[in-house]
Amino acid sequence: MSRATIASTLGIVCALVSCNADQSDEVRALPAAHEADSTALAIDTMAVGRPGGARAPDTTDHIQPGQLRTVATAPVMNWTGPGGKPFEVQIRTEDPATANARRFGTITLRNSARRRSPDLGQYPCTSCHLGRGMVLRDARIKDAHQNIKPDHPAQTGATCATCHAADNVELLALRNGERATLDHAYRVCAQCHFSQAESWAGGAHGKRLDGWQGRRVVMGCADCHDPHKPAIESRTPFRAPQLKRPPYRRP
Amino acid sequence: MHLKAFALSALDSATNGGRRYHVWMGSLTLVMLVGAFAYYIQLRDGLAVTGMNDHVSWGLYISNFTFLVGMAAAAMMLVLPAYVLHDVDFSRAVLMAEAVAVAALVMVLSFVVVDIGNPLAAWHLVPGIGYLNWPRSLLAWDVIVLNGYLALNLIIPFYILYSRYTGRTPNKRRYLPWMYIAVMWAVSIHMVTAFLLAGLPARPFWNTALLGPRFLASAFTAGPAFVILLLWFIKRETDYDISEGAFSKLALITTVAAQVNLVMLISELFYKFYSPTHHGINARYLFFGLGEHRALVPWIWAAIALNLVATIALMIHPVRRNMRLLMPACAILFVAVWVEKGFGLVIPGFIPSPLGEIVEYTPTLVEIGVTAGVWALGFFVLTILVRVALPIEMGSVRSPHLGGEGAPVIRPRSTGGRFTERRPVRTR
Amino acid sequence: MSLDLRNTHAEDEGTVLQKRVDRRRALGILLGGAAVGAQALSACSPVAPVSDEEREAKLLQWQEYVKKNYRFMSDEERVDTIARLERLANIKHNVDVRIQATPAQPGVMFGYAFNISKCKGYRACVEACINENNLDRRAGTQYIRIFEMEGEEVNLDEADATFQHEVPAEGHFYMGTQCFQCADPPCVKVCPVGATWQEPDGITVIDYDWCIGCRYCMAACPYWARRFNWAAPEVPAAELNPNQHYLGNRARKKGVVEKCTFCIHRTRQGRLPACAEACPTGARVFGNLLDPNSEIRWVLEHKRIFRLKEDLKTEPRFWYFTD
Repeated sequence: MSRATIASTLGIVCALVSCNADQSDEVRALPAAHEADSTALAIDTMAVGRPGGARAPDTTDHIQPGQLRTVATAPVMNWTGPGGKPFEVQIRTEDPATANARRFGTITLRNSARRRSPDLGQYPCTSCHLGRGMVLRDARIKDAHQNIKPDHPAQTGATCATCHAADNVELLALRNGERATLDHAYRVCAQCHFSQAESWAGGAHGKRLDGWQGRRVVMGCADCHDPHKPAIESRTPFRAPQLKRPPYRRP
Repeated sequence: MHLKAFALSALDSATNGGRRYHVWMGSLTLVMLVGAFAYYIQLRDGLAVTGMNDHVSWGLYISNFTFLVGMAAAAMMLVLPAYVLHDVDFSRAVLMAEAVAVAALVMVLSFVVVDIGNPLAAWHLVPGIGYLNWPRSLLAWDVIVLNGYLALNLIIPFYILYSRYTGRTPNKRRYLPWMYIAVMWAVSIHMVTAFLLAGLPARPFWNTALLGPRFLASAFTAGPAFVILLLWFIKRETDYDISEGAFSKLALITTVAAQVNLVMLISELFYKFYSPTHHGINARYLFFGLGEHRALVPWIWAAIALNLVATIALMIHPVRRNMRLLMPACAILFVAVWVEKGFGLVIPGFIPSPLGEIVEYTPTLVEIGVTAGVWALGFFVLTILVRVALPIEMGSVRSPHLGGEGAPVIRPRSTGGRFTERRPVRTR
Repeated sequence: MSLDLRNTHAEDEGTVLQKRVDRRRALGILLGGAAVGAQALSACSPVAPVSDEEREAKLLQWQEYVKKNYRFMSDEERVDTIARLERLANIKHNVDVRIQATPAQPGVMFGYAFNISKCKGYRACVEACINENNLDRRAGTQYIRIFEMEGEEVNLDEADATFQHEVPAEGHFYMGTQCFQCADPPCVKVCPVGATWQEPDGITVIDYDWCIGCRYCMAACPYWARRFNWAAPEVPAAELNPNQHYLGNRARKKGVVEKCTFCIHRTRQGRLPACAEACPTGARVFGNLLDPNSEIRWVLEHKRIFRLKEDLKTEPRFWYFTD
């Protein structure tokens, strides 16, 4: 009896310790689709066993924050977070395509460079461009990103040159003549959208990754807003609640 | 030895009777069995078999609970004049009123038990082995006062009856202090029940200072009305002597209480409708409906109409004195208060919800079955208590162990204090 | 008129109801019949559990039934009850769960801010919450409510939470509610058995095994934050979240109340609640109110904020703000 107690206590302690280890950056896969039936059984307490009683992986979590877990960050320049503390912007996650598509739906940038280096869809620029200019290595390359029609919105008269440096395809241009790398694209947005940028730095705008505790890593502007087409499209919401409880049917 | 004889004699009185009595008890038992089965369904499947939901989380059970607490409290309206003021008229009627109180309390406690979702955990309420959140929780107060009141209403009449049964006169010095306590306690049980609703700022329909006094007024309307009906029945069916004075005084109490109840209702209506604020939206739902949600509107208007008719009728002296008119008036008043306090108080407190959502409530068959079962239980208990108490009160049943001269020698076991039947004796 | 004590209805002698039976004997017959019936029943039904596991489960269930309120348990008792619950989940449902007993971190008081300019009504938070907290799929319990409001005025009476169309709809805005973990919670005050209380980090929690299901707390909550398990809750095996907390998303049973706990099993580990993490627009801000450098504090200091039903003085720890 005492052995069982010790064992269960140790089990608890291990569980608690491994919970704290949850924040490691190990890759977690999406749970495999269950081939066995997932019919629910009605019993006095909930939860029905997995077929075969397989033990769930220690750090399984249905929201898969690991998918948003940041692998690379860059410190944010020229802005301080709340309390005057510096903070970081995410520049790489483990599986951006799945993460964004699953997490952010239509807000995700669809048809152009969705993440900054090195996860940009068409990075490095020199793979097509000869040097930093507009000249291409291979003239046959077509439709790389000519399909991008800046719609920022159209009334602002924003064109490619508004944000991109004309002489260097890898950099963005700021109005004061400075250059910003794609990792710090927020500096470009902040020029016009200064109030949103201020909120973003403080924490009222945008999204914080990882947890509420510890180092603050946030998503950059381009993670949610496609700079070429920032308007967010509508989508179908998750199912509505049922106000009237349906009559009870014995399962 | 007296005690054993008393118990046996009580059993005798309760099980012995004519055909109508057995039919009555039999049908009550049938309804109780139906209720028990319905409760079994509820225990097995959960409260999902009722019509309650996350929005209207209290329904028929708590509506009846609220009404019956009032009934239990109103019995004290008779006790005070009878014992304390030594009103002769009332002294004959007081034990019947206490029987009503006990039956009502049994129903109250039953409704609480059938309403809670995890009844096996009810021991958590017992201080010592569980944890009773007293004094912060009004429900904890309610548990204490209701059980205390039940104890008082069982012990004091038992003492009086038992004394009479054993041929002694009950000692005033022994029971009178408890009587005083019981009278004050009666007011408190209904005030506490009112406070448990009125203390919730989340529910503006209940969150008024007038709720406690309104509860008392409606209790003293419906309680004495029911006692009048009961006494009339007893007077009709047995030899038990209840004076005209008792009836007229009770009727007067009912009438005055009904008038006060109406005044309070008018006060609430004025407060809620003269300057309609968001806090009056529940009242708007109740009286006029909100959009297509109008389920309670016919009920409340019917209750108010019946209430008015009965109150006005009772205000007319000849009506009050005429037993043929007094009884229907009391019955109508009883029903009107039941609807008003049940459907017209507990349910509309939840519609619309604190976030403005409207989900209406319809009790299911299971719920109605359990409710009917509990009411049948109450009437069952009442009948038994009256059947036991009456012969002792009338002096026709005494302990067989009483000896000596002058003591009536009656063997209750053989004939059991039978009531006279109204049918004439037919000779062969 | 004297009371006639004799049986004066001779013609009824033969009917069943008037049959003269000695009362004592009748009682004896009834009791004897009941005893015989009970014997017969017990002979038919198996009295002893079939297997060792079932016997163990019965013992564990009994120990769970007689245990104290979690709030008054010693640390050892807490460890014991968690071990029992995990073992019961294993035996009865063939699933391994990890139930934490993590206490509140010192110096932490959780606060939440909701940006009603950013919420677009996607209900991604609702979906995440259902998955994270093992909510009843059959009843469709949702801790979070998203209201769609027309125009610019916050008016819950005119709001609609049952919208099911493309969002965001033109001319509408969206606002979400859940348990606000009030600083002066009316639900805690009214619970007759003390089954719900507020933890030092501000989360109002429920001991599901202590709750008697009276639903007084549901009547007392001004924000409609509490849910009741009207029937036994069901969660499909594939969707169960085994990462649980005793005071949070562990298995509930029918007849008890439950509510949002700010994902206590996550937030006490420093993670965001599922709703905050799932929100695609970043409308939800969560953090430690006692940390002057937290985002929540920044929002409270720099944004125009309001709370629902301020006049009730429940001091909810959930603020709304706009851009």
